[in-house]
Amino acid sequence: MANITLTSSDGVDVTVERTVADRSVLIKNMLEDLGETGESIPIPNVNEAVLKKVIEWCDHHKNDPPSAGDDDDNRRKTTDIDEWDQKFMQVDQEMLFEVILAANYLDIKALLDVGCKTVANMIKGKSPEEIRKTFNIQNDFTPEEEDQIRRENEWAEDR
Amino acid sequence: MSRQRSGARLPSEAPSETSSSTSPERAADDDTDFFMPLANDSQSSIGVANFRELHTQNNRPAALSPIGRLPPELLIAIFSKLVSPADMLNCMLVSRRWASNCVGILWHRPSCNNWNNLKSVAASVGNPDSLFLYADLIKRLNLSALTNDVSDGTVVPFAQCKRVERLTLTNCSELSDKGVSDLVEGNRHLQALDVSGLGHLTDHTLYTVSRNCPRLQGLNITSCAKITDDAIFVVSQSCRQIKRLKLNSVANITDRSILSFAENCPAILEIDLHDCKLITSPSITALLSTLRHLRELRLAHCTEIGDSAFLNLPEHLTFDSLRILDLTACERVKDDAVVRIIGAAPRLRNLVLAKCRFITDRSVQAICKLGKNLHYVHLGHCSNITDTAVMQLIKACNRIRYIDLACCNRLTDISVRQLASLPKLRRIGLVKCQAITDDSIRAFALPPRSSHQPISNLERVHLSYCTQLTMQSIQPLINNCPRLTHLSLTGVPDFLNTALTAFCREAPEEFTQQQRDVFCVFSGEGVIRLRDYLNQDISVIPDDREATMFDDGEEHDEDAGRMTGLMDATGINDEDYIDVETFQ
Repeated sequence: MANITLTSSDGVDVTVERTVADRSVLIKNMLEDLGETGESIPIPNVNEAVLKKVIEWCDHHKNDPPSAGDDDDNRRKTTDIDEWDQKFMQVDQEMLFEVILAANYLDIKALLDVGCKTVANMIKGKSPEEIRKTFNIQNDFTPEEEDQIRRENEWAEDR
Repeated sequence: MSRQRSGARLPSEAPSETSSSTSPERAADDDTDFFMPLANDSQSSIGVANFRELHTQNNRPAALSPIGRLPPELLIAIFSKLVSPADMLNCMLVSRRWASNCVGILWHRPSCNNWNNLKSVAASVGNPDSLFLYADLIKRLNLSALTNDVSDGTVVPFAQCKRVERLTLTNCSELSDKGVSDLVEGNRHLQALDVSGLGHLTDHTLYTVSRNCPRLQGLNITSCAKITDDAIFVVSQSCRQIKRLKLNSVANITDRSILSFAENCPAILEIDLHDCKLITSPSITALLSTLRHLRELRLAHCTEIGDSAFLNLPEHLTFDSLRILDLTACERVKDDAVVRIIGAAPRLRNLVLAKCRFITDRSVQAICKLGKNLHYVHLGHCSNITDTAVMQLIKACNRIRYIDLACCNRLTDISVRQLASLPKLRRIGLVKCQAITDDSIRAFALPPRSSHQPISNLERVHLSYCTQLTMQSIQPLINNCPRLTHLSLTGVPDFLNTALTAFCREAPEEFTQQQRDVFCVFSGEGVIRLRDYLNQDISVIPDDREATMFDDGEEHDEDAGRMTGLMDATGINDEDYIDVETFQ
């Protein structure tokens, strides 16, 4: 199996199997367009640590069947994540969101999906204040605006 | 168009507040819509909303936490994994940025499942000083839970929601042309409209739809009895992207409009003409010949349809997309027609020939050609059918999950024993097959036959009026079919004693006393309680049985279940109706 080389944003070369790299639609298309020149492919938006993390995921999933009709399954079991992926996503937030950004940039839909589900699971059941704490977000509402949002979305509290 | 209406202020964000169909859709669609989003059609979009002018004074905080690096489309992708509106509301309350990116998901399909919610939603939509322009965010509006509490007055605030893509008003029977037209007028985005059961509607509503909704893909006007062929004809001319069409019991429909749909709407996937009694064979020939994507053709009780509907199809034309064909009570359809259509539609999965009472073993032999593709077959009241044909059918089509042979009274234990060999069988109907005995029903209770199939899949078993049956076969059946959730034994003398009928469900209200006396249907908990009762002296039942009974879902069988959201409903009605109907 042919190997290819990717160069991270911080200038580190990482070698991967072609089948692993092909999980990224961006890289796959690039290789198909350019042909395999043997030259390394620059990945300007992703640093070494994140790139290696993403490759770890791609390697584990290299034999997954191509997702058919992409959103059908997600729609049903919204935040179920398989066990290996759950473990994989047990990283600090810095890495978690970098992985999500990289998955988006590299166009790896299934990884993006797992990332989004992971964050959604961190949100579920939490109060607004708990969510802010979890993600270190500042409340920039005036009290009046907060009241107004609650009032206008009262129906959403119904359980 | 209409971008200026969204009161956009916060300039930052907003990657793509268009209505293109690429943005993530909100998850877990539990709507009771009849439109099941099958492929990628009729996807709707979620945009980023913006605060209206008065509320934009704050500057955005510069300090970025890790999550702050995500662009709006990724925040939206995360929010769209949430299911509960309460979680979405909590997200909106986190910060202004989160609010702008979450409000579109929350309001994509506001929940109007009770009166208080509806009032709250309507008040926000109608409030000119609201924080967001909610009216433009609503893409799906479903008032069907409120049925006849919904009046023309109720829907007035929603008249300004001009971006609704799916409007579901099932059984809101007090609504008139006025209310529905208010909702539809000016909406160019409508893709699916369900007004089934709105008996007051007239052609006026459909003319409004025709004028306003060129993108309409799904239309359900079941039981809108006042609507005439003229209006439906105009729809066929104006809404040429139609994919799903349910015109059940709209008695005025004639061949003229159906021929026009065949000619003008090549995207049609599903058409249901249940009980449209004026429809004749040429319509059916035209639909099949011209609609190359047709998946579902439902013609139950279209009694004028005869053999020529199928015999006049062009030679050599095949219907590879056709998955569902329902010819219930099309008595004029006989063997020649069945042989012809089955031969040309090799991928049929659901076939209903109930009450096509003149068909014989010849039809069944043709059905055998469907082989593994056939999952659902209904041959009730086809009383010419013999054991020989059923044996062949079971051998040829071993993936059958649902089979109904009610009132096929020539069938004997020979057929039933063969049926018991179907590994995927989930529902079986043998109502009024009076020749069958304990001997063959016991075959369903045999220990597992293979390692692929460790336990029986049987869920629903209909044995009403199989008068020879006794506890000798039913007890083993109940004990060896852990997924069983429905067992009907109406009119079976051995079960008409009060010790057992104590576990029955209530007879339907409309039943006469005489019918009540013989009614015997166990369902859900009733099956479990009956099993417990029968076993009370023997042993303890495992605790987890409830889970095994209800979690089976469609997982093993997604195709059959998903293919038509209607199948299950139809199945259930159908079964009840058989139990009732064959009573006399």
